[in-house]
Parts: sequence; structure tokens; C-alpha cells
Amino acid sequence: MSSTTDARPARRLAVTGVVTGALLALSVYGVFFVAPEDADQGIIQKIFYFHVAIAMVALLAFLVAAIEGIRYLRDRDPRHDEVSCICVGIGLAFSVLVVITGSIWAKASWGTWWVWTDPRLVTFVIVLLLYAAYFVLRSSADGERQARYSAIYSVAAFASVPLSFYSVRVARSFVHPVVFNQDGANMPDSMLAWFVVGQIAMIGVFLTILQLELIQRRADRALRRVKARLEAAA
Amino acid sequence: MTPSWPRQLRALLLKDLRLELRTRDTVVAMLLFSVVAMMIFQFAVGSRGDDLTDVAGGILWATLALTAVLGVGRSWVPEREQRVLDGILVAPIPRLVLLASKVGAIYAYLLVVEVIAVPLTALFFIRNGQAADLLLVGVVCLVANLGIAVLGSLLACLALFARARELLLPVLFLPSMLPVVIAAAGAVHSVAGGTNDLAEYRGYLLFLGVYAVIFGLVAYATYDHVFDD
Amino acid sequence: MRRFGERRAVDRVDVDLAAGECLAVLGPNGAGKSTLLRMVATLLRPDAGEITVCGARLPDEAGDARRAIGYLGHDPLVYLDLTARQNLELYADLYGLDDPRDRVDAALDRVGLLARSFDTARTFSRGMAQRLGLARALLHEPVLLLLDEPYAGLDAAGARLLDGVLADLGPERAAMMVTHEVERGIRLAGRVLVLRAGRPVLSEPTSEADGAAFRARYEELVA
Repeated sequence: MSSTTDARPARRLAVTGVVTGALLALSVYGVFFVAPEDADQGIIQKIFYFHVAIAMVALLAFLVAAIEGIRYLRDRDPRHDEVSCICVGIGLAFSVLVVITGSIWAKASWGTWWVWTDPRLVTFVIVLLLYAAYFVLRSSADGERQARYSAIYSVAAFASVPLSFYSVRVARSFVHPVVFNQDGANMPDSMLAWFVVGQIAMIGVFLTILQLELIQRRADRALRRVKARLEAAA
Repeated sequence: MTPSWPRQLRALLLKDLRLELRTRDTVVAMLLFSVVAMMIFQFAVGSRGDDLTDVAGGILWATLALTAVLGVGRSWVPEREQRVLDGILVAPIPRLVLLASKVGAIYAYLLVVEVIAVPLTALFFIRNGQAADLLLVGVVCLVANLGIAVLGSLLACLALFARARELLLPVLFLPSMLPVVIAAAGAVHSVAGGTNDLAEYRGYLLFLGVYAVIFGLVAYATYDHVFDD
Repeated sequence: MRRFGERRAVDRVDVDLAAGECLAVLGPNGAGKSTLLRMVATLLRPDAGEITVCGARLPDEAGDARRAIGYLGHDPLVYLDLTARQNLELYADLYGLDDPRDRVDAALDRVGLLARSFDTARTFSRGMAQRLGLARALLHEPVLLLLDEPYAGLDAAGARLLDGVLADLGPERAAMMVTHEVERGIRLAGRVLVLRAGRPVLSEPTSEADGAAFRARYEELVA
């Protein structure tokens, strides 16, 4: 079975991992040591850079999950379902981080641990619910149906994300007609570069974890096949 | 023999409405539930006699969202309990027509509930309401129901064969319903109780329309695969 | 080929059904007979291999195939809370039949339910409901009849009816019947296919099969 000895995925993982690690280290250094501190919020404001990057990657993960879902429906190749599932998991984990960092950010900006007025924060809470439901759905079915239903839901859930965001935004815009930029301070150009580095680093984290999971699952399957063969021979 | 989809759609829709009229299980339960839910809200937040006009829209749509779960959960019951599903699937019906018939059924159930629930909300929670406002609220219902029905009929199929069906469906359905609740409640709030902000109203209505269109597209893209075992 | 998880429910089955033929699919429980039938009926999608029904390739041209198929299983597939007439009228609409009234009347008469046509199916006995199911399956005069243990719920009158239908297929129709009743299978069918654990173990015309001898061979094959 060539897949058990195929070294290419492991090599790809190593490359991705190393590059990601380097970028992460670079961006942490840049954000914490090079970037100017914000006058009002001090060091907490630095979390903001990662907060946005993580949020973007979470959305990216969900988009990939939806695309892989559609591809599964097209050709019923279980590999698409596998990638879709992993991406939802990563997206969900990142979303938790978004909510946590967002909460810290809210405390620093407005003094309370939670606000219902930030469309991004609220959207990610809804996202948590949407994609937690994905796993509940998965556990309710097996085999081919599990893959098919998950694929369909991954598309529906992703459609809900922009709808959720805009519903909160629209609601807020009527209460506060002046749409103020809740991103906080506008980013000075010098920071933009570090922000981009951080963003790429986060995408690297996503890809690394994805590859890691895929390799792990493949190894699991190979192990089970060997076990089954041993048991059959015995 | 030429199956035509309008004829099929009509036949399926009439079948569902006919079955519902005969047993009346679903609609009666939804009606009772919606009234009880509104009472719960009243007792939970209004016991002190506060004026709830501002949140009347919210109470209405919280109630309708929860009631919709019931209706959606029941939408496939005839096929499932009476084991007719294979017969329908073997017939040359485009899957989208099947979906459309269920969308129609859910829409009808919701409408029946709203005919009672909307006036009741005005009665219980809105002080100094005006009858004309009720019409505007009615339009909100007409538009919102579409998105709810499309979303619901799609997700109901995903829960159809699950063991813990009654638990799975709310978990799937309600998070995706949140935008509808936000927008519909906002729309009602903008016209109920004296304040009549039509610009706001239109904004929310537009959103609800977009919601229905987007989920219509999702359903269109995926419905063929739901029953494609 | 069709898999459920790791298990192959149907594997390497090659069937060619010509017009005018009736094929009996035999085999022990769990042999994959129903799965095979459901795949032909467009209810299940094969994981590998091809199915062509009346010139329509599945799954892409399933709609065309469905027009030509009549399916009857253990369940009559009728709405219990609708009357017999309403059930058949529904299916007449779904299949797009011209003059539905007459067709429904004729179908009800054929299965002997004309007198009960305004009663809800819930009031029917199992045999009557299954007869209604048979009427439903035959309503649109399908080219290919797919039957899954159809005799299981049929009463004597219904069984006679179905015997008649199968004997009288004509040169333009075909039938595929899953059953575990070996004798009935070889009596009614022109060909026989025996499945075991998803694989075909025997496929031959029944004219060569002598009842008792065949039975003995069959027992041996599926043991």
C-alpha cells in the first residue's frame, strides 16, 4: 500500500510548519516590539492584530469547508468530506479564539467583558452555534449520509455567516446612524506590513493544522487496515 | 404521460393541506404553543407591569421562531410516519418541486399562526397601537415566512432520519434563524407603538427578502442531493 | 456495487433484463436483494458500476427512468389518512396522466377496491392496503415493474391479481421481483438470479429448472 509509505505529505507538512513557525515568530516580534503602542489602550490593543487575523482565517476555513462540501456533492469522493470536516473543526476552534480575544478587546475598549453591539463579535457567537450544530449533525448520521448531510449543511451554514453579520450591522445602523469604525485606531502604514505578516502566519497555522490532521487520519486508517488484515489472517 | 411540475406541485401541496385539515395536529399545536410562549414572556419580563411596547416585536418573533421549529419538524411527518417516502421518491418528481411543496406547507402553517399571534401581540404588549400598523407587521410576516420555510424544509430533511430528531432540528434550525429574528423584530419595532420609521422598516424588509433569496439559492444548489442515497 | 460503511452489500452483479422477461431475485436474508432492487428503482445510488433503465442512465437521467418504473415493496406506500381514490389521484397527478379520473376508476376496479374508494386507507386491512399499493404501482402502466417481497402483505385476491399481471407482462414490459419464496419465484419468472452475501452465485433461465432439483441446488448454494 503506497499510501502508508508516501512521504510527500509529511514533507509538505514539515515545510509548511517551518515557514509558519518563522512567520509567527516574526509577527509576534513585530507586533510586540516594533509597533508603536497605542496611547489609550496600551498593550491590549496589540491583541487586535491577531484578533482580526484569526477571524479572517476562521472565515477562510468555513469557506473552504463549504467549497469542499459542494465538491463532495458533485463527485462523492470521501476525501472532500474529510477536508470539509477538518476545516469546520479548525474554523470552530479559531472562532472560539476570536470570541475570547474579542472579549478581551471589549474589556480594554469599553470596560465590559461583553458587548452586543459589535457586529463582528456577535456574528462569531452565532458562528459558534452554527458550526457546533455541524458536529451534532455529523454524529446523528453515519456513512455516506453523514458525509452528504454535512456537505449540505456546510453550505447552508456558510450562507448564514454574512446574513448574520449584516443583520446585526443593519440593526445597529438604525440605532446609531453614524457608523463608527469599531476597528479601533486606524492602522498606521508602518503597522500594515506587520499585520499582513501576521495574517499570512495565521493562514500558515490553518494549513499546518489541516495537513497534520489529514496525515493523522490517514495513518489511523492504515493502522486499522493492517489490524483488520492481521485479525483476518489469524 | 407528461408530468408537469405545476400539476405535481399543486397535487403535493393539496395533499399536505388536506392531510393537515383532516388531523389538524400540527396547526393546533403550533397555535397553542405560540400563545403559551407569549404568556411565558409576559410573566418572565412583564410581571412588574412595565410597558413592553418596545420589545413587543421581539416577543412576537421569539415566539414565532420557536413555533416555527414545531411546524418545520412536522413538515415531513406524513411521508415518514406513513412510510410513503419511497413512493414519492420513485415518482418522476423533480426534487425541487418536492421542496417547493413543503415550503408551501410550512408557509401556510406559519401564516395561520400569525393570523392569531400578531393581533394577540398587539393586544397583550402594545399600548396605543394602531390598526394600520398591524398591516405593516403582516407584510413582515409574509416576507419572513418565505425564508423560514425554505430554510426549514431543507434542514428538516437533514434531521429526517436521525434518532434524536426532535433535538437535532432545533439545534440546526435556530442558529440559522437568528438573522430573521433580528430583522423581523426590528421591522416590527420600527412600526409598532407610535413610532413609524418607514426607512428602517424598508431596510429590514429588504434584508428579509435577501435572506429568502439566498437560502432559496442554497436549497436550489443542494436539494437534489438530499434524497440521493 | 454498493457499500454500507465497510460492508459491500451488493458486489459484481451483472444483470441484463430484456423486454418481456420476468426475473426473480432469490437469496437468504441480507443477501443484498433489496439493495439491488432499490438501486434499480433509483432509490439508492451505486458506489461503483452503471445502471441503465429503459435507456436512461442513472443517476443523471433518473427522472426519465422514474417515469417507466413501478415499484411495490413491503409497504403499500399510500397515505393512510387519504382515501383510496385520493391516493391514486395524487399519483395520477404526479405521473402526469391524462384522464386521471378514468384511470383511477379502472385501477381501483382492477384490484377490487372500487366499492371502498371513498374510505381512508387507514380503514383497510393489510391485504387491501397492499392491493391499493399494487394499484398505485400499476397506475401509470410502467414498463418495468420492480417488486420487493410483494406477496408478503397481499391477501388471496391480491395474490391472484399479481400472478395474473406477472404472467401477462407482454412483449413490451419486464419485471424484477425480489422474493424468498423459491417455488413461487421459479414458477412466475422466466429467469432466476440468486444472490449470496451481495454476490451473484447463480443466474439461469427457469425453463431448465425443475422444481425440486432446483430447490435442492438452491439450498446448497445459500448454505
